[in-house]
Amino acid sequence: MRGKSSKKALREAGQGFLFMSPALVVLLLFIIGPILFVVFLSFHKVQLLGNVSFDFVAFDNFKRLLDDTRAKIALWNTFKYVIIVVPCQTLLALILAATLNAGLKGQTFFRIVYFLPTLTSSAVLTLIFMWMYNKEGLINKLLDFLGLPTYNFLGDPGIALNAIMAMNIWSTAPFFMVIYLAALQDIPDSLYEAAELDGANALQKFWLITVPQLRPVTSFVVIMGLIGTFQLFDQSYIFSAGSGGPDNSTLTVVLLVYQYAFKTLGTMGYAAALAFLLAIVILTATLIQRKFSKEESLY
Amino acid sequence: MKRKKWLASLGITSILAASILTGCSGSEETSKDEGSKDGSKKVEVSLAGWGGNPTEEKLLKQTLSDFEAKHPNIDVKLEIITEQYMDVMKTRLIGGKGPDVFYLDAFEAPGLIETGVIEPLDEYVKKDFDVEDFEKPLLESFQVDGKTYGFPKDYSTLALFYNKKMLQDAGVEVPKTWDEFREAAKKLTKDKVYGYGVAPELARMFWLAQSKGGDVVKDGKANFATKEVEEAIKPIIDMHNVDKSAVEPKEVGVTWGGEIFGQQKAAMVIEGNWAIPYLKDTFPDVDYGTAEIPAVGDKKSTMAYTVAYVMNAASEKKEAAWELLSYLTGKEGMETWTSKGYALPTRKSVAEKLGYDKDELRGPLVAGAPYATVWAEGSNLPIIVNNFNNQFMSAFLGKTPLDKALKEAQKQANSEIESK
Repeated sequence: MRGKSSKKALREAGQGFLFMSPALVVLLLFIIGPILFVVFLSFHKVQLLGNVSFDFVAFDNFKRLLDDTRAKIALWNTFKYVIIVVPCQTLLALILAATLNAGLKGQTFFRIVYFLPTLTSSAVLTLIFMWMYNKEGLINKLLDFLGLPTYNFLGDPGIALNAIMAMNIWSTAPFFMVIYLAALQDIPDSLYEAAELDGANALQKFWLITVPQLRPVTSFVVIMGLIGTFQLFDQSYIFSAGSGGPDNSTLTVVLLVYQYAFKTLGTMGYAAALAFLLAIVILTATLIQRKFSKEESLY
Repeated sequence: MKRKKWLASLGITSILAASILTGCSGSEETSKDEGSKDGSKKVEVSLAGWGGNPTEEKLLKQTLSDFEAKHPNIDVKLEIITEQYMDVMKTRLIGGKGPDVFYLDAFEAPGLIETGVIEPLDEYVKKDFDVEDFEKPLLESFQVDGKTYGFPKDYSTLALFYNKKMLQDAGVEVPKTWDEFREAAKKLTKDKVYGYGVAPELARMFWLAQSKGGDVVKDGKANFATKEVEEAIKPIIDMHNVDKSAVEPKEVGVTWGGEIFGQQKAAMVIEGNWAIPYLKDTFPDVDYGTAEIPAVGDKKSTMAYTVAYVMNAASEKKEAAWELLSYLTGKEGMETWTSKGYALPTRKSVAEKLGYDKDELRGPLVAGAPYATVWAEGSNLPIIVNNFNNQFMSAFLGKTPLDKALKEAQKQANSEIESK
């Protein structure tokens, strides 16, 4: 009896796997394989060019992290970036979504306009912003016109990262705005009606109904934001032409990984260790975030 | 019934898997085909480099078609890699799909030669190739342990570019010494025009950093946190922060020295040969002259940047690759390539024939060649440069004292080198 059913179960499982095999092959080959390979690399000293060699060095790559000043700077920059960008973009997305859901005239038009930055490639955006950030560019001309001090956004180490932050908040907030917009449609009107009957004003309705109702979505938005911001690379790469300058101010972890993997020869193993560390940091941040916002159901 | 289903699913997946696999193997077959042609009539040699301006590209293509006309059995496949040349090249070499012949900057050469992916060329060289003809310091930057790994195709040194009108208006002579230069820059600075447009990076200041007897790199390690180096580069920082006579391109909204000079936001810049065609094309109205870089003390110095043709050690067509390489760096090929002055010839005989030493604008560049420091200094230079540039920038902007910045940069660079 038992043998028979397990045989059947086995056959069914085999069938299932067979059907999944195209997807499995792709996943294994392009996602799980590389992940395992990075773990493997991070414990080795790797020379890929010329005489290929993999020397097992145990935790040396990770030890090296401890006294690498640039790695610390990169971590700190990335951390600063995340702490500022994630709350800002989430808040901005929420406000934008709420405004565009309020039934204003021409809101579809504004929805499209606001969404445009997200559709633009980040490389193009960065280049355009670099023009605007130029010492003689639009933003400085505007500041000058208003009688405010002008800045060397691209060359001043104290400002460069902030310039990237502003640009990124501007360009990613609309993406999350769309997610919020979709979620706003799901909040039943009856809740608002009930609140109105109780005499709630617009602000109270927003704080006491909209925000709590959107909590699961907010949690999703924050997690996606965390992952995205921790992986900042392209903007700072273009901004600094790959160097992370001026004065390491735009050096992010992923940029450092890139530098060690491709710019200096023979440090692929160390780059893998850094990437591995970043993955752990992101994982921890996500777990902490989940702890804070408990009972979520979206993912 | 069940079995049939099972078979059907097996069939579908195997078809899918097969289609994926054929997708992969397809490309492999074609590349093998190319290889098998090797022995027969036509050989295709691939040549990779970064693009230049349209005129340069035309010159290169002309040189290549001259070569093909002389060697009917060799086809040259030119591949132009416009962005991130070294990243692309390293990745391709790792993947075993590197081109047969390619450009290599002297700056990157030691690191790449160390890994053994570059073919030593000594055994290919025949007498009529005339190795002695090359400018020695340029050739030496591609030699390791007595073996030659590449032949320089062209070079440029740095020279002082000055705006004739601005100098005349300010009543300043073309500066001959570093002190005169600093004074001149002060006088030339007025209403939104700066005296000196500076590139605050090691590649451009290496000669200056070494001018007081310091060694920026010693035994493959960073060694610039010394009194000599600090004293030598201090003037740049003082010109920016004290005299306010020097400016970095980004501070006035441009990207590099040629542009700051062309837009007449700086009266003097120190640039190379590449700026001459750029100024001619983009800012034809600027009336300027060139001179040798002002001497520090009584010692003249400048930088030389050079690029060589090298051969991939994994190439399957080395004989044909050498034919191409030796033509391109030979007297004839080099003459065509450098005929328009976009690049300066590394062979003495070609230089003499083309007479750039008598050219009004290029003369000072050529004059610098004998005493120039070649921009190459062992395989750790990229690490040293990155750290120097980052920290120097903050000293340049007056955020950190110079000695502290140099110490920090040296410490970080050496710790990176040690744990390599």
